[in-house]
Amino acid sequence: MTNEEDFKTRLKIAKLKVQKKILSESEKKGSLMGSAFKLGTELVAAVIVGTIIGFILDNWFGTKPWLMIVFFFLGTAAGILNVIRSANRMQKK
Amino acid sequence: MQQFTVHKIGPEIKIAGIDLSFTNASLFMVISASLICLFLFLSTKQKKIIPDKLQLISEMLYSFVAKMISDTAGSKAKPYFPFIFSLFVFVLICNMVGMLPYAFTVTSHIIVTLIMAIFIFIAVTVIGFIKHGFKYLSIFVPSGVPAVLLPLITIIEIISYLSRPVSLSVRLFANMMAGHTMLKVFGGFVISLGLLGGWLPLSFSVALTGLEILVAFLQAYVFAILTCIYLNDALNLHH
Repeated sequence: MTNEEDFKTRLKIAKLKVQKKILSESEKKGSLMGSAFKLGTELVAAVIVGTIIGFILDNWFGTKPWLMIVFFFLGTAAGILNVIRSANRMQKK
Repeated sequence: MQQFTVHKIGPEIKIAGIDLSFTNASLFMVISASLICLFLFLSTKQKKIIPDKLQLISEMLYSFVAKMISDTAGSKAKPYFPFIFSLFVFVLICNMVGMLPYAFTVTSHIIVTLIMAIFIFIAVTVIGFIKHGFKYLSIFVPSGVPAVLLPLITIIEIISYLSRPVSLSVRLFANMMAGHTMLKVFGGFVISLGLLGGWLPLSFSVALTGLEILVAFLQAYVFAILTCIYLNDALNLHH
């Protein structure tokens, strides 16, 4: 009787250990590679979107190059913000 | 390049001036979707307590996605599990089917990934407005910013929010397209260097194929995890 209970608790502990190990290892590798692929496009996409918004607004108001230039820089700022955010998110993990 | 061209299969179908013909892209989407359905159907047909190999794979897939959602978006995101699961599996299988010779890679076309990303973007925005009403707009106004800078910061935040679908779709599309192009280029080197010098690029393209399979999995993972992160922003307002 005691033997069986002893075995059960030992099994539980062993299972928990194995689970923890597998999870932490696979997760670390996966998310690191994933975030490495992520950061580059994060920066570029915001610049592209900012420039496109500037271009559209220019066509509306007829202020040809100016809004596009302004929004290009705003887009760059947004891109850097994006990168900083995802870097922070990575550090939290 | 030949492997990226879309051509019609069967008769031309036009409804209200829009070309709705069945193409090889649609064929490979149907193939991927039916592969997923077939696999999940077969693996869960006999629900054993001690699972066999197929059942084990589908259970692992299930718990992998479930853990990903609960880690990144919390317990509130549980109702959206079916959507994220099908999104992840569809992108994964599309990428993997594209790795087969003579297959067409659906995800190497920006129109496919952009439509998925825009759908996610709109869905997340709608969910945010339903859950929080007009308070959802407060994600554009970070707290603790001086009043002088507020208009500028708000514009930057809006651009950053609008750039989400672009970065989501361009990432997947560019990775798949670049990988397949690289394989093609190295394959071309094998032919042009011939029997004497062709062995080096051949070994490279074997290694690159391995890398591409890794990228195919990772990009599906990143696509799904970013959807979870966006969902988290919409469900839990805490900026």
